[in-house]
Amino acid sequence: MTDDDLVFKALADPTRRHLLDRLFERDGRTLTELDADLEMTRFGVMKHLRVLEDAGLVVTRRQGREKLHFLNPVPIRLIHDRWIDKYAERQVSALSELKTRLEERR
Amino acid sequence: MTTTVAQTTQVYQVFIKASAEQIWEAITRPEWTARYFHGAHVTVTPERYDSRSADGELWGDSAVEVFDPPRKLVHGWRSMYDPEMAAEEESRVTWEIDEDEQGVCLLTVIHDRLEGAPKTAASVSGAGWTGVISALKTLLETGKPLY
Repeated sequence: MTDDDLVFKALADPTRRHLLDRLFERDGRTLTELDADLEMTRFGVMKHLRVLEDAGLVVTRRQGREKLHFLNPVPIRLIHDRWIDKYAERQVSALSELKTRLEERR
Repeated sequence: MTTTVAQTTQVYQVFIKASAEQIWEAITRPEWTARYFHGAHVTVTPERYDSRSADGELWGDSAVEVFDPPRKLVHGWRSMYDPEMAAEEESRVTWEIDEDEQGVCLLTVIHDRLEGAPKTAASVSGAGWTGVISALKTLLETGKPLY
């Protein structure tokens, strides 16, 4: 699998997207903090975190005796540069330009 | 949309197909940083981290804590390009470069000690560091700036 495959695979699961959203709200969390509101075994959460780590979306750092999980947004940015720029941005900017023009006429 | 307080420790990581020496050059020399770091001309010596605009205006001027080429660089950060952010407390940036056997490096950038610099924390998070780091990767791997 390429790096892109790993990121798309990791993002294709609601629990994993939920974990990323939780880290977006507050970064640098322990496993205990992350599995607090999930109806899932600790082992299940660990498996999801492993998939996110393999995709580079979560980076862990040791701080004293704790292992903290950080959201790493760089792979999403690279997907954006590779896919969104290419297929979407031109159309989006054309549409937003059209919207501005039409609104100016009022 | 969720609003959130910007994080006081931010971690960014990317694989780059380049040698550790090339990455070290790219983060410590102005002719490289000018091509991916919002035009900033950054010069790093064992003592000082100096960042300037193209016309020499001071954008950053902090002490270097760790200078261990081509593995680790730690320096202070003060966003001097904006008066409000410049007035905040100094934060810290750590660059770690780990090269594997295949000549691919894992670059980790940690911006921490941001407790006394909330405006700076918000400004460098999200598109800030992410944009700089992805542009650095593109420049080193393709030889061309991203924009």
